[in-house]
Amino acid sequence: MTVLPFLIVGAASGTLSLLVRSRRGWSTGIALLGLTWMAIVAAGIGSTATIDIGGARLAGSDWLRLFAILGSVVGLLLVVVDMAAVHEPDAPGVIVLGLASAVLALAAADPGVAVIATTAGGLAGVLVAAPLGAASRAAFVGSRELRALAVAGTLAILATAWLARPLDNLVAAPVFGVAYLAFTVAVAIRFGAIPFHLWAARVADAAPGVALPLLMAWGPAAFAAVALVWIDQSVAPLLVPLTTERAVLASIGALSVLLGLVAALIQDDLEHVVGYTIVADAGFVVLGLAVLDPAIWEPIRTWLLLFVVARSALAAWVVAVHGGFGTRRLTELAGWARRAPALAAALVVIGAAAVGWPGLVAWDARASIASMALPEPLATITLVAPLAGIVIYGRILLVGLARAGTAVRGGRSERPGWPVPRPSRPMVGLSPVERAFERAGHLGSSLVDIIWTVPAATRSNRTALASVVVLVLAGLAGTVAGGGLGVPAAARAVPIAQPGPHASPSAATSPEGPGGSGAAAPASVEP
Amino acid sequence: MNPALAGIATIVVGGAVVAVSARDPRAIVLAMLVVMLGAPLIVVPTPGPLPILARVAAALLGARLLVIGLRGDLLAGGTAIGWPAETFVAAAAAVAGFASHGLGAAALGPAEAQAAGFALAAVAAAPLITGRDVLRLGIGSMLLVQAALLVRQALDAPPGDGEQLVIALLTIGLGGAVAVIAGAARATGALAIPDDGDGGPAAGRLRHADAHRPTQRELAREAASAPR
Repeated sequence: MTVLPFLIVGAASGTLSLLVRSRRGWSTGIALLGLTWMAIVAAGIGSTATIDIGGARLAGSDWLRLFAILGSVVGLLLVVVDMAAVHEPDAPGVIVLGLASAVLALAAADPGVAVIATTAGGLAGVLVAAPLGAASRAAFVGSRELRALAVAGTLAILATAWLARPLDNLVAAPVFGVAYLAFTVAVAIRFGAIPFHLWAARVADAAPGVALPLLMAWGPAAFAAVALVWIDQSVAPLLVPLTTERAVLASIGALSVLLGLVAALIQDDLEHVVGYTIVADAGFVVLGLAVLDPAIWEPIRTWLLLFVVARSALAAWVVAVHGGFGTRRLTELAGWARRAPALAAALVVIGAAAVGWPGLVAWDARASIASMALPEPLATITLVAPLAGIVIYGRILLVGLARAGTAVRGGRSERPGWPVPRPSRPMVGLSPVERAFERAGHLGSSLVDIIWTVPAATRSNRTALASVVVLVLAGLAGTVAGGGLGVPAAARAVPIAQPGPHASPSAATSPEGPGGSGAAAPASVEP
Repeated sequence: MNPALAGIATIVVGGAVVAVSARDPRAIVLAMLVVMLGAPLIVVPTPGPLPILARVAAALLGARLLVIGLRGDLLAGGTAIGWPAETFVAAAAAVAGFASHGLGAAALGPAEAQAAGFALAAVAAAPLITGRDVLRLGIGSMLLVQAALLVRQALDAPPGDGEQLVIALLTIGLGGAVAVIAGAARATGALAIPDDGDGGPAAGRLRHADAHRPTQRELAREAASAPR
């Protein structure tokens, strides 16, 4: 199956969900239905299935299929957590549309089409960053987000157009470096990498927590994957060293890793913690783009999948805490872990998946990226920097183990309960036949009692429900971080792409690829 | 030089100058409509009827969304240097774009598209960098993306039908995004950016107030704690 059904379902359900946004229940229901359907359809995407639409080729791949499945499942779970916790409007529809546009960008064989698609998808995020009826500052945040998207999109469109034509008679070789730097800086802007983080920090403050993973991780991750393909098609085959440009990019990546973690450590607002940990993780993606060796292909694509799932789980955890206790400020959350032990367990799993240890797929991917992009001892420093995550998660857990504060005491606990006592029905029949009929009647009445009470029971157990879903998401993050669900194999898989105008004949046919390092030539292989 | 393409490019650049200079939102929307309708036509060969139809529909829908977001009597900031200066800036950039056609290598598209693209980017720069209201910032963003698409038309082969469709989606998205932002700003009674160091109550604060809409739970808590 091609990627087309996935795109149709995503576009239809996302648009419909936003069109009925005034009816929040309907809007969320449509988005949930759409995400479920998308997950099913995504499983059927063929790794070699292609379709041409108006001259633009859309091609599937193993990595694209895994991205689509994980995106749909994670999106579904995020929406469920949001429903159970705070139920923000518009976020479900935006998640569906954003995911569909990300998959469209990944499926487009022409990077020129892909950058336009991913820029268009990013615009959906403005709807939740500057919603109607929000505080006045939301408009300012939305403007900053739109400006960042426009600048990043412009840089990427120009870079792809610049190198898309035959450049045999090029008179200025530095053009390659400028184009390469333009596209990679565009990726850094989309991720909010330091020093381009100001807009992202404001979005983290204004956008609903449930939409943060899409705005700051899933959409930019698709953008980065497109950049990776473009670099492999159009820049790497040129065999130009681009030393200065790569040094600039590596500096941005390393700074983002180190300063992002420092910023996350000192933040008081949990959504800011999510935002800055995303920035830190994205630093490794930017570092990876500074490497022109095709051997970077596997670790960077592995890392892209790992970090978006792990950060989505952390965002879901924050939404659940916010819904349960009515605040996101750490200073007001003393004792949260005592009232919500399942959420505490989920945070431990998320922390372990995000930080990792040597031997874990997540750690090894980061180690490969750092060692290829940076010289020693910078590589080692950048590699061990994520261990600071232990302090970040430990600080949150320590606050949770303290004596419960006012907000936590007034919040909802995870303890399951039933909203009304079940009525007792004494047996009054004398003969066995009478009692048998009576039991059958009581059984039916009890079932009706339970069915009638299910909505109220769901409402009164919202925190417990959210905690269970967050635990599932944490488990998913742990599984992916450990290399489960075929992540390494998908990251190694060769996608179908149109060869760039500068791909050498050997690159187009040889499995050695343009770098000749023994790794597969990812974007240079025709179906 | 192709006179027809040059004429369309001039109209597009004129629309961009009006869009960044005018204060009346209706004039701004009309100017942006001219830009969005004219930009896809500065290409050789001219796209087929279906892609053109898609781009025209996208331009109309984008403009319609802008109109929805800009209802009321609000005024945009307008240009600080006046429309004649904006025109000169656009003209200078257009000449630079025309003269540097291909940017170092043989181009596959018309020079007029690159000239228009450079002009649009030049007039978009001031609103993007110094824009004091959300509409000017939004219009600057729209013009910048249109500029990039025009330069792409000048450098590379003409966009295929599929790419035209994706560009149409981007055009609608841009119009919708600006409309949403303008709608959010309109709720405050002005299009000006409320607290970006303008001396307002929140200016200079390291940490801004939470921009979330309150949840039902928070609203209930506020209602319960409000003095009767």
